[in-house]
Amino acid sequence: MVPNNLRVMMLTWEFPPRIIGGISPHVYHLSKNLAEKGVKVYIVTCDFPGASPHETLDGGVEVFRVDSYKNPSPDFASWVYLMNMNMQKEAAAIVKNLGGVDIFHAHDWLVANASIGLKHVFRKPLLATIHSTEVGRRNGIHTDYERMIHETEAWLTYEAWRVICCSNYMVSHARWAFGLPEDKLVMVPNGVEAKEYERSNIDLHQFRRRFALPEEKIVLFVGRLVYEKGIHILIGAVPKILEKVNAKFVVVGNGYMKETLSEHVKRIGLAHKVLFTGFVDDETLRNLQKCANVSVVPSLFEPFGIVALEAMAAKSPVVVSDTGGLSEIVEHDVTGVKVYPNNPDSLAWGVTRVLLDEDYADRLRENAYRMVLEKFNWEKISQQTKNIYEKVLGEYSKTFWA
Amino acid sequence: MRVIIFSWEFPPRIVGKLADYVKKLALQLAKNKIETCVVTYHDYLTGEFEEEGNVKTYRVTNPVKTHVSVLTWVLTLNQEVERAAANIYYKIGKHISLIDVHDWHFIPAAVTLKKALGIPFVYSIESLEDHRSHGADSPFNMAIKSIEWLGMYEADKVVVKSEWMSSEAMRIYKVPEAKIRVVKPESELWIKKILGIYGSVSGA
Repeated sequence: MVPNNLRVMMLTWEFPPRIIGGISPHVYHLSKNLAEKGVKVYIVTCDFPGASPHETLDGGVEVFRVDSYKNPSPDFASWVYLMNMNMQKEAAAIVKNLGGVDIFHAHDWLVANASIGLKHVFRKPLLATIHSTEVGRRNGIHTDYERMIHETEAWLTYEAWRVICCSNYMVSHARWAFGLPEDKLVMVPNGVEAKEYERSNIDLHQFRRRFALPEEKIVLFVGRLVYEKGIHILIGAVPKILEKVNAKFVVVGNGYMKETLSEHVKRIGLAHKVLFTGFVDDETLRNLQKCANVSVVPSLFEPFGIVALEAMAAKSPVVVSDTGGLSEIVEHDVTGVKVYPNNPDSLAWGVTRVLLDEDYADRLRENAYRMVLEKFNWEKISQQTKNIYEKVLGEYSKTFWA
Repeated sequence: MRVIIFSWEFPPRIVGKLADYVKKLALQLAKNKIETCVVTYHDYLTGEFEEEGNVKTYRVTNPVKTHVSVLTWVLTLNQEVERAAANIYYKIGKHISLIDVHDWHFIPAAVTLKKALGIPFVYSIESLEDHRSHGADSPFNMAIKSIEWLGMYEADKVVVKSEWMSSEAMRIYKVPEAKIRVVKPESELWIKKILGIYGSVSGA
C-alpha cells in the first residue's frame, strides 16, 4: 500500500545556507516542490555556522542539521565516514521520534554509510541520486583513496532500490561505472527556478560597471576552478577571442587551479581582461548571469550542467562543450552553441560567433528560455520524483520487509 | 534473555587476546540459557553463518574492499554489522535484550541500533587507543578516540577487566565510576558478574 501522506527522509551533506556545489540547490528545490505536492520531507544535513539545528521552512520542509566537525579526521574521506557515523546516529533518533518514515533518499556517496545503515535498521527502501562519480571527476581511478570512494559509490548504488541520474549521459555512465542493471536506473533531470531571475531591484547597467567597461562584452564562467570544469580551456581561448571582440572575462568560483590560472593570465599580459571574483553571493551571481553577453561552460566532464540552465533562465546565450549532460541540454544553433570539448580554438569560435551576431544571440536566448520553462521546471521534476517514490513503495509493499 | 555480541575478532580469526575471550564468553552465556548471537568479521576463513554450542555466529564482510586505513575499513564495515543485527532483530520477533560490544570497532553500529530500535548496549573494553598508540594524538588516533568516547558516553555500562583499566577509562574519558564494572576474566565469579550486569542493563 502506498501511504497517503508520504514521508521522505533526505540525506545530503549540503543544504542552504551550506552551499558547496550543485547538490545543495538541487535538494532545496526538490524538497520544496515535493512539499507543495503533499510529501512530508525531512532533510538531514551537516551543520553550518549560524544555521539552526532544527527548523521548518516555509512550505513545510523540516531540516535537521547535525554536528559534523566534532571528530578529528586524517583526510576528507575519513571525515565523510565519521560525519556519516554522527548523521546516522542522529537520523536514527529522529526517525524513532517521528514514528517512522516511508523512504530514505540519499544524494551521492557523501551520505552512503548513513543511508545504507538506516535502510537496514528501519527496513525501508532507499533511493539514491548519483550527481557525479569519482571515476568521472578524476577521469579514471588512480589511487587506493580514489578506489575506496569509487567502491563506496558502487555500494550505495547496490543498496539502492532505484538510482536516479540527472541526464541520459549519467544514466549510461553510472551503468558502466557500477555495472548496474538497466531497470534500476531512472532519469530525472535537474531543474532551475526561472522565477528567481525575474525580480530585480537594481540597475543592471550600474551593476555591470563593477565588472567591465561599457564597451567590453562580458564572457561569464561560473564553476569550481578545477580541471574537470575546463576553465583552462577558456583561459586558452582568451587571446583568440580578443583578436575579434573587445571583451571582459569574468570567472566566478574558487578551486585549486585559481592561482596557476591568474599567474598565467598575468604572464601573457591579459590580467586586465580576466577578472577572478572568487565565490559570490546568489544575488550577485544572478545579476552577473543577466548581464553576461555570453555564458561559457567548457567542462571536460559534466554529469548535468546546471550552470548552463541557470544562464538560460537568466536569458544569457550559452556556449557549451559538447559533452555529458550539456550535450542533452543544448540543441546546437537553437538553444545555444556547442563546441568541441578540450579545444580552445573551437571554444573561441563559438564565443566570437555569439558576440558578433546580436540577432543570433537573441534567437538563442529566447529559444533557451522557453525550453527551460517547459522542460526543466521543478514542479514537473518533483512530480516525476514523487511518481518514483510511489512506484518503489508499491514494489516494497509486496516484499517481506513491508 | 537475548544477547548479541559484537567483536571484530572471533575464532578462527584471531588478531589478539580478544577472539578467545569472546568465544569463551559466548559459550558460557549459552550454557546459562542466554540466547546468544555473535556478529563478527568474515575474512574467507569461514562461512557467513555457523552454530556451535547454541551460539549462532553471523559473519559479515566489507562491501568496500579498498581502504586507506583501519579507520575507513571499520567505518564502512559497521553498516554490515547493523544489517546483520537488524536481520536477527526482525527475525526473532523484535526483541533483543542488549548488545555487548567488544572494543571500539563496532561502537557506531551499537549506537545506531540503540537510537533506532531502543536496544541498550554494554561496552566491554579489552584495550584503549591511548595505550595502543602510546598517547599519540594525530587526527587518525584522535578519530579512534572519539569513537571510544562515543561508546563510553552512549553505553549503559562500561565493563573493564582490571582496576587499572577502570581508572584509565575515568582518566582518559571522564567516565563516572558508577557506570564502570570491573569483571576479572580469571575470577571464579566472572560469568555470574557478567550475567548480573546484563540483567541490570536489560531490566530483566
